[in-house]
Formats: sequence, structure tokens, C-alpha cells
Amino acid sequence: MSGSNRLAGLKARPKDTGPAEVRKVDEVGEARGFVDRTPRKKPGRKPSPRTYQLHPKVFPQIGEAIATEAERLGITQGQFIERLWERYEGSH
Amino acid sequence: MPVIVMASPKGGVGKSTCAVLLASEFARMGADVTALDCDPNKSLTRWASHGLPRGVTLRSDVGRSEIVTTIKNADGDGKIVIVDLEGVASQLVSRAISQADLVIVPMQPTALDAEIGSEALALVREEEEALSRTIRHAVVLTKTSAAVKSRVQKELENQLRGAGIDMIEPSLVARAAFSELFAYGGDLTSMLNNPEIVTGGKVDKALLNATAFTEAVYERLK
Repeated sequence: MSGSNRLAGLKARPKDTGPAEVRKVDEVGEARGFVDRTPRKKPGRKPSPRTYQLHPKVFPQIGEAIATEAERLGITQGQFIERLWERYEGSH
Repeated sequence: MPVIVMASPKGGVGKSTCAVLLASEFARMGADVTALDCDPNKSLTRWASHGLPRGVTLRSDVGRSEIVTTIKNADGDGKIVIVDLEGVASQLVSRAISQADLVIVPMQPTALDAEIGSEALALVREEEEALSRTIRHAVVLTKTSAAVKSRVQKELENQLRGAGIDMIEPSLVARAAFSELFAYGGDLTSMLNNPEIVTGGKVDKALLNATAFTEAVYERLK
């Protein structure tokens, strides 16, 4: 078996590749169980990189004020403490 | 030039082996071969990592959303596209079949392989109807015995032929050289001519089998 001249007789044959044809093929496949099995990304929120747990106990009115202010700013209490820490570091 | 798709929703039937043998043998005939590895197991990519034969280009990680355009872009005069698919029933498989000039369904001579492989044959026929186009398809038996044809194999061949299924002859015999191609890369000729490659089987017999198989596939592409 040799000789590229034999292969030269084989020509490219055009095929339907439009969205309508692909949809038709998908429908035929799905009816037979050939469904989309593309691996899905893991659903849900990604784990937070904030993994360190503080355990501060503060006076109730200060705790409530921190919680209220964090909520007003639309951030977590942890992010609020990070901002306070930045300010603290910047002042020294 | 033609697009040849290896399809079976069952894994381990010899799709990747068929793809590697056809890619390397058609390249040896002088064709410009593009092999598309659409199998998450990346068998073709592993084969290619040890060295591709001259004339073969590999594209890995071809998924459902890009299979149609990838085949279209790779196809052209003077080129043969060989698509190795995953061994599951997926939309990727049905889309690849829609772009095929020849669908090869490899199956081992067992009732289970035949039953699951027939799903691919049925899908091809339904796609033919939906697209109003003939998609040539054929079965090749794989991992057959070199010495004797088992009773199960004879029965299976009779059943498939009785159902009007095109059977590719010769079947692909269970040869160590076929599986060792994935460890050494290249093609059977390079394996035969390299004294450093130690195989557990007869490479010359494997080469004869692969050549005859490719010739039989070529006859179906004309």
C-alpha cells in the first residue's frame, strides 16, 4: 500500500455545519441518550480565602455598632475589621 | 478528504488503537492526517507525547462546543481527519458523527460490546435520516484471536451481517505491538526498525494486520 496518488482521489465532501443542523443532530442524539456530558463547574460560592478565625469579645454596644456599620457598607464583619487594621497599620 | 470517526459508547473497545493505526498508516501512504483527540483519557495525546509519525498532526482537548468547527477547519483536499471519541453516550459523539464520511464502530467479539456498540450504529442511522445524508458506517472486531475464531465471534459476525451491517475485514487481532504503540509513539514501521524497542509480540504480523485494515478502510472511502 503506497503512493499518495491513490489518496489524491479522495476529496473533501462538504457537510452541513449550521446551527440548525447541529440542533437537529443534538435532538436525535438526546433521544437516544447521547446528551451533553461536558463537565460542569462546581456549583455554589467559591470558598473564601479568609480562613483565619478571630475570637474577640467586645462590649455589646460596640459589637452592635460594628455589625451595623459593616452591613451598611455591604461588607462582612471580617472585611470591616481588615479595614480597621489597615487604618491602624497606616497610623503607625 | 474524508473524516473518519471512531465511535462506541463503550470504553476499552479499541477506538484509540484504530485511530492510531489509521493515522499512522494513512500518513505512511502519503496523506496529511489530522488526528483529533476528543477522549478525556487522552490516549492519542499520550501516544503523540512519545513522537508523532511524519504527516500526522494532533489536536487535543476538542470538546462538544468546538468539534464541528474543528473538523470543518481540519478537513480539506489532501487531508484525512481521524476523530477519536470518548467511550460514553454524549452530544460530542453525536455531533462528530454528523461530520463523518465513515464511522467505524470497533467492538470486541462479546455480546456486551455488540449490544452497546449497536447504540452507535442506531444513532448513525437516525442522523442519516435527520440530515438526509448517507453516513457510511462499519464495524470492526478488535482484540480477536490470531489463532482461532471463537464460536462467539462467528455468531456475532453472522448476526451483524444478517442485520446488514458492513463488517471490516480483517479484524484487529490482539497484538502486544498495538498497545505498545502508546508507550513508544511513532508507528509500527519505526517500531519494527528500531532494535532498541523490545515488544512482547510480533511487530511484523501487527504491521501486516494494520496495513490490511487500513486498506479495507480506504476501500470504503473511495
